[in-house]
Amino acid sequence: MKLPFLNKKDRKLGISDRRRYDIPLEKGAGGRFLMLLVCLMTVLGMIALSGTFALSAMKDRWTSGLENQLTIEIPAQDENGNTIEADALKREALAVKAILDKQSGVTQARILSDKEMQELVEPWLGEDVILGQIPMPALISVKLAEGHPELLDKLRRDIKAAVPAARLDTHEEWLSDLVRFTGALRMGAVILALVIGFTVVVAIAGAIRARMAEYKKEVELLHLMGAPDNYIAIQFQNHTLRLCFKGGLFGVLIGAVALKLTGWIYGHMDINLLPDFSLGHIHMTMLAALPLLIALLAFATARRTVLSILKKQV
Amino acid sequence: MIKFEHVGLRYGIGPEVLSDVSFTLEQGSFHFLNGPSGAGKTSLLRLMYLGIRPTRGLVSMFGQNINGLDRTELSPIRQRIGVVFQEFRLLDNLSAFDNVALPLRIQGKNEKEIRNNVNELMDWVGLQDHKNMLPNTMSGGQQQRVAIARAVIMRPRLLLADEPTGNLDDEIGHKLMNLFEQLNRMGTTIVIATHDQNIIESFGHPTLMLEEGRLRIEDRKTWLAKKMEGVF
Ligand SMILES: Nc1ncnc2c1ncn2[C@@H]1O[C@H](COP(=O)(O)OP(=O)(O)OP(=O)(O)O)[C@@H](O)[C@H]1O
Ligand SMILES: [Mg+2]
Repeated sequence: MKLPFLNKKDRKLGISDRRRYDIPLEKGAGGRFLMLLVCLMTVLGMIALSGTFALSAMKDRWTSGLENQLTIEIPAQDENGNTIEADALKREALAVKAILDKQSGVTQARILSDKEMQELVEPWLGEDVILGQIPMPALISVKLAEGHPELLDKLRRDIKAAVPAARLDTHEEWLSDLVRFTGALRMGAVILALVIGFTVVVAIAGAIRARMAEYKKEVELLHLMGAPDNYIAIQFQNHTLRLCFKGGLFGVLIGAVALKLTGWIYGHMDINLLPDFSLGHIHMTMLAALPLLIALLAFATARRTVLSILKKQV
Repeated sequence: MIKFEHVGLRYGIGPEVLSDVSFTLEQGSFHFLNGPSGAGKTSLLRLMYLGIRPTRGLVSMFGQNINGLDRTELSPIRQRIGVVFQEFRLLDNLSAFDNVALPLRIQGKNEKEIRNNVNELMDWVGLQDHKNMLPNTMSGGQQQRVAIARAVIMRPRLLLADEPTGNLDDEIGHKLMNLFEQLNRMGTTIVIATHDQNIIESFGHPTLMLEEGRLRIEDRKTWLAKKMEGVF
């Protein structure tokens, strides 16, 4: 079926410019309200979406590398709280290192030097701390070719046998916390997306219902002239699509400005919590597709609503 | 081709407007529909253009029993019926041209064909200069002509007109009656509800008389005979 759209050809044929739909759908403020709503939903969706992107970039950055690393700590005090001699500690560390060096799958095992230890504690204790004054544990940084659980278990057993006090820190706890945290934030984004979708559906369905009631007589007349339901649905759905495209376009513009602004402010805040992050092509495409997705949802909602109302008529 | 059998109609819980109406109209026939105000002329036409379904009885259009059809099957039947409504029912946001073009657009005709047909008919009803006007800026008579043009634009198999000459002076009234006659000669079945005794007399087609919910057909001879006897 031909779309009842006004095109250049129509105009040339001398058909009034006023005609786009048979029903005066373009009258009234309802359309502008829907446009604004779609615009706001697009902005909201864009912010949520780029938040998700930034989040997963952050997670990747924090977890990359950590997965195949572990740290072995030999505490400076025994279980009774007595300080272990530095020499004894060093011997134990060397014993552990020997085990690690022998093990295949371990690419590197390094005992942290005093200087490195100093750097590690500095942020907490200040520059003036002299290492000899407080008991410092021995730390061994280990890199694995691959973090097999079996390999970890074997290392744990071997090291415990040699140095019972040694503790293996695989960063797992910290990583799983991080994963759980970003997972929760992502869940929030999904819920927000659902809320946006739901809002669009409810608003469009409501607006269509109101319009159908307002133009009941006109719709009935079209029916009496033999218009099938589809002919009537097309007018409502195309009108909805146009509104949503316009709203979505404004939304994308506003959203882009908002994101740019956020990026700029963050760049000037001099904090390094989030890794440097910029939107790639895929992200850009996804953001641009958002208003299309909303428009499509609105289109389908409009069509369904019209058809379901018409089904109840004579 | 149009057949009513013991048709009864009531609106909601109101009294019966039509109580036992039976008649048959052959394809290509021409009838007037007459009766006092409130007798149910508009209601009968409404049943014929499938705007309402009968409370009881059988309605069959073009050989199809309407009662057995679901609503999506009514569209093709409606497309073959042209209607001039008593209150015109033009679409206010469409120009006269687009109002007349509407049935063709609904049937998916191409724009060139639409333009040719509509312009020709607008000429014929004398509205060529008004084709870009909106209905609510037109006089009653002009609106009526738009409504008539819209009803006949797609050469309907059945034309139903409710007081189509009510707002027109005799000259235009007769001219439009001639349009209906011409359409009738090309095979369109026509039913015209009218109070206008002049028109009934001068065109002399048989008349469907509605009175107290019942209908009887009077051909021109009995109608004239009654008139002689001074029944009215
Ligand atoms: N939609 C409706 N709801 C309820 N009652 C109606 C409706 N339409 C018509 N009626 C009633 O049906 C009866 C017949 O009305 P109808 O309009 O068919 O008469 P009519 O013969 O066309 O009259 P007129 O010559 O004045 O146009 C009237 O009593 C009217 O009150
Ligand atoms: Mg009437």
